[in-house]
Amino acid sequence: MSFIEIQCGEVLSSVIFIIEGEQQALPQADAINSHLSTCAPCSAEIAHERLMQQMLQDVLKRSCDEQAPEDLHQSIHRQIRAQMAGQASTEVVTQFSMTEISIEIDEFGNVEHREIQIEQTHIQHFIDDED
Amino acid sequence: MSPKDLVLESEADRTIRFERDALLFTNQLYAAALRYTKNPEDARDLVQDTYLKAFTSFHQFEEGTNLRAWLYRVLTTTFINSYRKDQRRPLIADNELEDWQVAEAQSHTSDQGKSAETVALENLPDSDIKKALQDIPEEFRIVVYLADVEGFSYKEIAEIVGAPAGTVMSRLHRGRKQLREKLAGYAQELGYSVATPKEKGGEK
Repeated sequence: MSFIEIQCGEVLSSVIFIIEGEQQALPQADAINSHLSTCAPCSAEIAHERLMQQMLQDVLKRSCDEQAPEDLHQSIHRQIRAQMAGQASTEVVTQFSMTEISIEIDEFGNVEHREIQIEQTHIQHFIDDED
Repeated sequence: MSPKDLVLESEADRTIRFERDALLFTNQLYAAALRYTKNPEDARDLVQDTYLKAFTSFHQFEEGTNLRAWLYRVLTTTFINSYRKDQRRPLIADNELEDWQVAEAQSHTSDQGKSAETVALENLPDSDIKKALQDIPEEFRIVVYLADVEGFSYKEIAEIVGAPAGTVMSRLHRGRKQLREKLAGYAQELGYSVATPKEKGGEK
């Protein structure tokens, strides 16, 4: 493979790809690598960019670490529960109840009293699909 | 949890799973929402909207994939669609893709310039860092935040913001550059001497 010589400017304009570890995505990747291996100022520039990038990330992370207010946590929780209750289902409850009473008196005067209660409850859930 | 289990998962179980897994990110999402919206009231509303949307579409979230990235996508999409102050302004500038690399006719920085830049960055207070981030354009701010605070890869960011990876790379590059220029400016006001990228003969 033959390398086409490239200028410092071209390497420096690709700095973002190098910092992100994506220089292989560039068509001139080989030429950049070969340039960097011989050009001290460009290597120093890349090293500086890496350092600055690391420092920038450190200060950004340090600065942007706000905690959500306590009542926000609670209101999200409440909102989710309300949403669940609302969307969960429509319940259709069918209840059936019957009492059968039978009284039998035989020829000797004995009374037999029987009560049978039948109860049936049927609950049907319909999931409300919002979509 | 297999797809079959998910089908059988009750509403109550899904709610518990959502609260267990997704609500861990409330603080992180709030900090991001503060950077997006620039004020605490909107940030609160944005986070709350985000969780409500995420919850109602949680059954579409594929277990085992990146929940944090998914939540950030909901947050970012919600912000872009409902919270941007100027809805008419397009997020992608027309010339964004073409001009960025060519515009960078950079030269080397002097060693002095390099050390001044690091010293300045080390000594800036948090308030200046946040101010600088707030002052760069929204489309840059979002990708810089996602990359440099949240540590998402540029490919993940492309998914989150719904833009091509090349666009994300370009915004990241320009966003960081603008951020550093602003920080260098603040450092100068504080008495540090810094060669800003502009003075190095960058943009004309």
